[in-house]
Amino acid sequence: MNGVLRVGKWTLAVFVLPCLLFYLAFVFAPILVSVYYSFVEWAGMGAQKFVGFENFKVLLTQDPIFWPSVLRTLYISVASLLQIPIAIVVAILLSRYVRRPNFLVSSYFLPVILSVVVIGQLWKSIYNPASLGGMINQMLVKFGLESWTRTWLADSELAIFALCVVILWQFIGYHVLIQFTGVQNISTDIYEAASIDGADGFKADRYITLPLLSPVIKISTVLAVIGSLKAFDLIVVMTGGGPANTTEVISTHMYFMTFNSFKYGYGSAISTFLVIFCLVMTVLLNMAFKRAEEAAS
Amino acid sequence: MKDFRSLRRAGAWVVMSILAVTQLYPLVWLLLYSFKTNSEITSGQFFALPKEWVWQNYSDAFTSGNYLKYIGNSIFVTGVTLVLTIVFSGMVSYAITRFKWRYGNLVMLVFMIGIMIPIQSTLLPLMVIFKNMDILNTHASIIIPYVAFSLPIAVFILSGFMRSIPTEIEESAMIDGANIYRIFFGIILPIIVPPIMTVTILTFISIWNEYIIAATFLSSDSLKTLPFGLNSFVGQYTANYGAIGAFLVLGALPVVIVYFILSDKITKGMVAGAVKG
Repeated sequence: MNGVLRVGKWTLAVFVLPCLLFYLAFVFAPILVSVYYSFVEWAGMGAQKFVGFENFKVLLTQDPIFWPSVLRTLYISVASLLQIPIAIVVAILLSRYVRRPNFLVSSYFLPVILSVVVIGQLWKSIYNPASLGGMINQMLVKFGLESWTRTWLADSELAIFALCVVILWQFIGYHVLIQFTGVQNISTDIYEAASIDGADGFKADRYITLPLLSPVIKISTVLAVIGSLKAFDLIVVMTGGGPANTTEVISTHMYFMTFNSFKYGYGSAISTFLVIFCLVMTVLLNMAFKRAEEAAS
Repeated sequence: MKDFRSLRRAGAWVVMSILAVTQLYPLVWLLLYSFKTNSEITSGQFFALPKEWVWQNYSDAFTSGNYLKYIGNSIFVTGVTLVLTIVFSGMVSYAITRFKWRYGNLVMLVFMIGIMIPIQSTLLPLMVIFKNMDILNTHASIIIPYVAFSLPIAVFILSGFMRSIPTEIEESAMIDGANIYRIFFGIILPIIVPPIMTVTILTFISIWNEYIIAATFLSSDSLKTLPFGLNSFVGQYTANYGAIGAFLVLGALPVVIVYFILSDKITKGMVAGAVKG
């Protein structure tokens, strides 16, 4: 039992039902419908043909894009975890050496609040060939590294890497801010006591700051993993999954199959897989944290 | 020893400045880019100020891009989403944390599962539902999913805060004969303004910037929100680099202005949202 207030059925209904029904109708029901669609063959018009597990069979065993897209989703998650150590270092430096950190923190944070369209199109311009005004290639030419210039987003080996750079660029500020808040919440008494015992600088960071930051590190990890699933919009805006499907992730594959190829049943099978994938990732993350906490205590 | 310390200080500043330059330079570059002519952009001077500030780019973007229309649409859609999200989540959070009833925890759990559901998975079913409701390609077709997907985190933040309010306040109001609606709107609502600010900021940032749902459910140019309109504009004017830059600057402008005014509140709200999410 949570509450203490006794209220009539009608009052309860007025407070709960509008929101709950709305939410169930537009979040839960669609997921169930999507699971149902994944067992049919349908192109939006005409009859839906029930095909059993055929869509899943094709998806898991014959689709040449599918498994690479799953691996790429994981790859982006792992790559975005790189943000966290950088953010921790910067957060510690900020709290130690900067008296008024607001300007720096705000400038790190600015990209976080921009739309994925602004970010995606901006970086498309940055990655353009030098002759089309691309910043990176023009820099390389300027510094005499002309042989290093690339068509970054059109290169099937580099495109995914180029995308990860953009993800890091957009979200690093968020992680710095979170870690910085965490560092500031550590009481200065602890450091004073430690310095009397001879623990300063790096030693204090290793034995005091890092352990005390572990709750915020957990938050950053969850955010980075969730954020990498959101890389979806960025990929749609920047590469559309190309070149030659080398930047497809699970969600883009689902989107293009559904809305570009009109394979509604097949797209829904991918979408069902995506829901399960997200739930499994959440459970795994939680288990990992639990184990880490037990190991630490 | 002292030298060593100042060396370390200098090193720290170098690291922090490099990050600041990496974060800000692309945006400054975009600003300069948006004032240049095409020939200047392609000439390879990535660092230079424009020789002449070309305001033409901005008037191109303004006149051919329906900028004000998109802004109006975004304000309307975001505004309605915010109001509905806050009213819905406020009432249900209150019921979850305060009322004596059997299913409070279950309802909470149902909302928490929503945090993990990827929004993309609902796009096709929602499209079919909206087609049958005959609201595809209207603002309702994007406001509905926006509200639905803003609810879980809002419920989470608001109910977390409400749990910390002592119940004596309401009990004494009850004794004084106030009914539950008076208590909710007159007493509770003023107390929960800070977490409502957090919810507002988180929802504003994600809805104002949302692209995929708008691009999937809308097709009329006159209905497009700013991110969607921006992307269509860039797709149409692929060779007019300066105008693209100008439109991107204009697209970023509203949220950047809001950020300059409320930067402290926004960073605090985003951290609070992250910590609680």
